[in-house]
Amino acid sequence: MDFVPGGELTRRIREGDASAEAELIRQFEPGLRVLLRRRTGGDHGLLQDLVQETLLIVIQRLRGAGIEEPEKLAAFAAQTARNLAIASLRKTERQKTDIDSAATERNADTARGVEGLAEDFEAAMAVRALLRELPQSRDSLMLKRFYLEDHDKEVICQEMQLSEAAFNQALSRARRRFRQILEERGFAKRDLLNQGP
Amino acid sequence: MNQQLIEQYVAGKLSEAEAEAFEDSFVANRDLARLVELEQRLKDGLALVASGSTEEFVRAENPLPWKLALAASVLLCVGTLAWVGKHLSGLHPQLLAAVTTEEQRTGTSMRLALIRGADGMPQLPAGTVRVEIVGLFEPELHYTVALDRIEPNQGITTLSTLYGEHPTSPVTLEVMIDGKQLEPGSYFIRVRKQASDEEALDFTFVKP
Repeated sequence: MDFVPGGELTRRIREGDASAEAELIRQFEPGLRVLLRRRTGGDHGLLQDLVQETLLIVIQRLRGAGIEEPEKLAAFAAQTARNLAIASLRKTERQKTDIDSAATERNADTARGVEGLAEDFEAAMAVRALLRELPQSRDSLMLKRFYLEDHDKEVICQEMQLSEAAFNQALSRARRRFRQILEERGFAKRDLLNQGP
Repeated sequence: MNQQLIEQYVAGKLSEAEAEAFEDSFVANRDLARLVELEQRLKDGLALVASGSTEEFVRAENPLPWKLALAASVLLCVGTLAWVGKHLSGLHPQLLAAVTTEEQRTGTSMRLALIRGADGMPQLPAGTVRVEIVGLFEPELHYTVALDRIEPNQGITTLSTLYGEHPTSPVTLEVMIDGKQLEPGSYFIRVRKQASDEEALDFTFVKP
């Protein structure tokens, strides 16, 4: 588990240590991407923009005024990301009444969404491979019920006459295999599999 | 404990306060963030696959106890024998079938090709039709051909699947469709190289 010494990073960034800024980006970028992925509705271009903007705001703040509770640096970064996502959502809502702006946005989205489409494609290919490899068709049905139909574990276990332990074991096996498939195919080196130092 | 939180977060089952607290913790912990991302990508990947075709899940529907499965297998064998009998006598052609006779090869046909900017969708002629699927195929390989119906507001239903089809040439793969068994509507034929991760080729047509 990573331990981010927020106070230490804050001090070093304030003192102009560029390596501390790089460390902050390395530590926070994966989590910010996950947080914003959930809040940007599948718009990969917007997601990437907001991750960059969040990191920029946090670094600029640390270079300048600093934050009140440096040990809560991660929480500050997370809240900044949430605020940016909300602001972006409001902006989008406003633009729905402005045809010209919407058209401009659509054009921009096409270009910046390419990377996201590649990610989607990678995930879909890995899932297809996973579904083909599952030892029992029951496992595939279980994944469908759990992830796509949002059924509770208890309900699925009851319907499929499974113990919770067996369910968890099958789910864990599927997750592990999904990750292995991504690794074997060299997918997503940038993010998911980039363990870093 | 973490895994349960991850599942609930990705499924959107945490309260806003709980979700924010969890977000604070995984922003501080990139290993945890990667586990959450894996869960998100698995869920999104499944949704994408499911929206593209139901085929991957069809074999998993309705799991049966083994005795019931055995009984179903026996019935299936009987049904298959009955079908073969009918098919050989030409009384009831299969919805999707291989091209096997000279009569079929010279009969009514429809050509499907991926053409950018084509106007309108091809229309399936009446009766039993030979469908020429134009693409780049490897003659020594097997292909799976599926016939899907596009249901208005309900997604896609796979009606029939043929396995182990050989192309008739490097640029053509042919199958027979019995149009009489199809309701008017939109359909597509999905061609996939067997034992391969390559994306399927989709060809859309309309049954008037």
